[in-house]
Amino acid sequence: MSRWLVDGWQVVIGIETHVQIKSSQKLFSRALTSALNHPPNTRYNAFDAAFPGTLPRLNRKCLDLALRAALALDCSVNQRSSFDRKHYFYSDQPAGYQITQHYSPFAVNGRFTSANIGFPIRIKQIQLEQDTAKSITDTRTRTALIDLNRAGTGLLEIVTEPDFRTSEQAAEYVRSLQELLRALGVSDGNMEAGSLRCDVNVSINRPGEPPGTRCEVKNINSVKFMVAAIEYEIRRQQSILETPGPTQRVSQETRRFDPDSWRTIKMRSKEDAPDYRYMPDPNLGVLVLSEKHIEAVRRTMPPLPASTRLRLLRTYSSSGVTENNIDVLMNLDAVRDITYDGATDSTIGAVAYFELCAEGRIPKSVMNWIIHNFLGQLSALGKPFSSEYITVAQMGQLLDLIITKQMTRPSAKLLLKQMLVSPSDLAVKQLAENMDLLSLADEHSKRLSGDDDSLRDVCKRSIEALPAEIAAIRAGKEKAINKVIGWIMRQTKGKADVDRAKDILKELLHQ
Amino acid sequence: MLRRFVSNAADSLREKDAPFNAFVSFENSLNLTNNGKGPLNEYSIGIKDNICTSGLPTTCASAMLQDFRSPFDATVVKLLKKAGAQISGKTNCDEFGMGSLNIHSLHGPVINPFRVDSRRAAGGSSGGSSAAVAAGLCDAALGTDTGGSIRLPASYCGVVGLKPSYGLVSRYGVVSYADSLDTVGVLAQDVERVEKVFECINKRDCNDPTSVDERLREKANLLATKSIQRWSGESLKGLRIGIPQEYFPSELTSSSYHILASIRHLLSQLRSLGASIVPVSLPSTAYALSAYYVIASAEGSSCLSRYDGIQYGLRVPPSHESNFTSTSRTYSPSRSQGFGREVRKRILLGTYALSADAFDNYFLQAQRVRKMVRDDFDDVFSIPNVLYSKLSFEEKDANDHGEDGVDILIHPSAIRTAPRLDDVLDVSCDRDTLQDYVQDVLTVPASLSGLPAMSVPMQPGTASSSSPSFASSQSSDTDAGLNQPRDNQQSDENWPIGVSIVGQWGTDELVLKVGRVIERLSRR
Repeated sequence: MSRWLVDGWQVVIGIETHVQIKSSQKLFSRALTSALNHPPNTRYNAFDAAFPGTLPRLNRKCLDLALRAALALDCSVNQRSSFDRKHYFYSDQPAGYQITQHYSPFAVNGRFTSANIGFPIRIKQIQLEQDTAKSITDTRTRTALIDLNRAGTGLLEIVTEPDFRTSEQAAEYVRSLQELLRALGVSDGNMEAGSLRCDVNVSINRPGEPPGTRCEVKNINSVKFMVAAIEYEIRRQQSILETPGPTQRVSQETRRFDPDSWRTIKMRSKEDAPDYRYMPDPNLGVLVLSEKHIEAVRRTMPPLPASTRLRLLRTYSSSGVTENNIDVLMNLDAVRDITYDGATDSTIGAVAYFELCAEGRIPKSVMNWIIHNFLGQLSALGKPFSSEYITVAQMGQLLDLIITKQMTRPSAKLLLKQMLVSPSDLAVKQLAENMDLLSLADEHSKRLSGDDDSLRDVCKRSIEALPAEIAAIRAGKEKAINKVIGWIMRQTKGKADVDRAKDILKELLHQ
Repeated sequence: MLRRFVSNAADSLREKDAPFNAFVSFENSLNLTNNGKGPLNEYSIGIKDNICTSGLPTTCASAMLQDFRSPFDATVVKLLKKAGAQISGKTNCDEFGMGSLNIHSLHGPVINPFRVDSRRAAGGSSGGSSAAVAAGLCDAALGTDTGGSIRLPASYCGVVGLKPSYGLVSRYGVVSYADSLDTVGVLAQDVERVEKVFECINKRDCNDPTSVDERLREKANLLATKSIQRWSGESLKGLRIGIPQEYFPSELTSSSYHILASIRHLLSQLRSLGASIVPVSLPSTAYALSAYYVIASAEGSSCLSRYDGIQYGLRVPPSHESNFTSTSRTYSPSRSQGFGREVRKRILLGTYALSADAFDNYFLQAQRVRKMVRDDFDDVFSIPNVLYSKLSFEEKDANDHGEDGVDILIHPSAIRTAPRLDDVLDVSCDRDTLQDYVQDVLTVPASLSGLPAMSVPMQPGTASSSSPSFASSQSSDTDAGLNQPRDNQQSDENWPIGVSIVGQWGTDELVLKVGRVIERLSRR
């Protein structure tokens, strides 16, 4: 462990993550959840505004998504758990309390593993709770504006044990957790949009001594800020403890990170900590999760990123597909929009697109075609990946035209671009024909079933047109042939079969 | 034309109600939901003002909500309208249901209609509902009962009041005081009307997470029916009635001897009809009242924390000097002025009970007592509790609990008759306000256990009524009615007093059935 010491101090970090559940309705009300672009106070109902007489009703979809997270994090799921009220007066909390799981959370004792951390991180508990409303305070006008759109949205609070020793490990955890939750369809995990927020607990101690007093930095909304907050806390606590003279102590505090000064700032000390007066919620009673239900959720869970990566490597690496290729596709899938309520996506992701196209074809060339040409052209057009532009069937037809040499790669690229710019329902071969992109060799074989005279003619003309290059080839500079081929391709508008042209050229030169 | 008719009816009701102050608002529109075909077609029903109605304000008798109009009807109100009932108006109550005398109301105290000129309390907190049916202003009224708020006023006003099993009637749209105890119930002049209204609102509601599912309802109902089949008919042979010895506290035996006399008389009548009277013990009863006030206040402090003057309700802006950085200081003027004295007191009590230092000794301890109280009941009933019973019912039968267990319990509804308003409105420090809480001592155990309990008026007894003679009790009743002046101290014994029938969870039908028998006996 000594490799993680900072100036002889051991750093101890724990992380609480608040994750907004991607459900179409809120945790205890039937109001729709909101996105950042919804006008304020358009997505709430009487319950969210804490009107008298309203009662909570648990949204089982939130619960099932929460279960996915708990199972993926290897937690033991409590078959009986309960909800509690956490009381405090604040304008973002219309009921005067938040419904959370304080005494008996639904999942405990999990573990998170990542190859980049090297040891498992213990997950202490996962609890379900309500998100707050949003309040914007203007100190100048002494007013506060309240937006209830977010009030009552389902949140997962994922609490780790203080197992991290460096800020890098903490960053790795949050990034992997984001990827995991997205792959499971549990959450957007978008820190910028506030659908994933972190509180970090930091303390330092001399190795062998008991843990130091921890300070909590609340509500961090980017991985970068989290790393900065941890680093700042380490230095701050270190400077307190290393102050000469009588023994100094770090006082237990709640702090926040200020992105302007890049420092953490004290919010309140332990003495000022509010008494939340936790009380079991008398309306919601015991939350019972049957073994059968837990198993049903387990069976229908989407595959985790790590196991998908492993499967792809096992299946395709023998045919030359690289780890890098796989990561490109997986990263595309990692940023896809998450469906609501864990519904199966009607469109397919990049990995699935590749796998369907690769069926019955050579995976490596399909992969190269997708990554270098399809993705390349998409990015040139400024479009994100989607399987919608060109269906798997169309892409398959295009690939088959190349494989059977009915179309050259350059022609195929041209056709691909055309298909992206103006989509069509016609068969790909028909499109190629319409654009006069089918290979010379192919047309010729249809017409003459003999030697490919027209390509031979072009090659002969190239010898006359490019004397310098021909001389170079004759002198043994093999690479010069590419220039000649390029000339041939231009002359044939890309329709010439490169391999065939090379053969003819070599034949002519050796005569 | 119809509208004018109804509007006239509202005016006339307002006029008739003037001496009682039972209503706080009056319905001006006619319920046309059911074309006159529903089971409650002929019924006019008053709704306690802590039950949400979209047509009329829902003030909870609090300044905090004095202008509040709910955007929706409570499930029970919807059900009544669907059954064809005409809502007559909203009835007075103690603020947010906190009180036993209906004296803590924004709208002023309710006058007990039994004899208006003697100005006695109607009881609370559903005092308006109780007075409205006692005065014949409506056929039935909905009330809510958290610790006795239906049974106590029913007893004081001389009407029938049913607190059903917790979880049978939807609380959606009922303004919470203490969620784990609040129960919607019915008040009327006779058991038949109570039963008819109860049948219409006894429905599972998916908007209420504490609404019990059909399976458990049917299970409990089946057990009740089985018990009724054993004795129903002219004779009560086979009906085992438990008399809990703890329900005759010193307050009752010392100063309210007439209540004892009435209940003795009733029991002898029941015995002569063939019922077995079985003395039983519910040893945890002594702790029930304290536990009740801890739990109810704790939940009350939580449920009432939503009234901050921001989203709705009274808003008193803080003075300009106050510190705006603290939210609680922005809220406190609204909460201090919006809530009455009694409500503020209970919020403070409850806030303390939930604080980290007190939680274990108060709130958790009270929860333990609550379980003991419930276990006490389960021990004496022959019918198992379908909500908690570990034993399968077959096993319970095999244990032959039926042999020594009882079908229902009977006890006086209150330790006294309606007090004089002048006495209880005395706000001087001398008055022992703890006495107001002690009134609930006989009603809270059933609340803590979620059991069905109904108060039915008893025939006033006399000191000599231990003799079961029908003739003598009737003559004493006549004497009392005609000859004794009602306004002196001794006249307490002429004021109504109820008897409570308590059954196992979900056996509301059994409670109603026994209630009818007692009603018949008391009317002879």
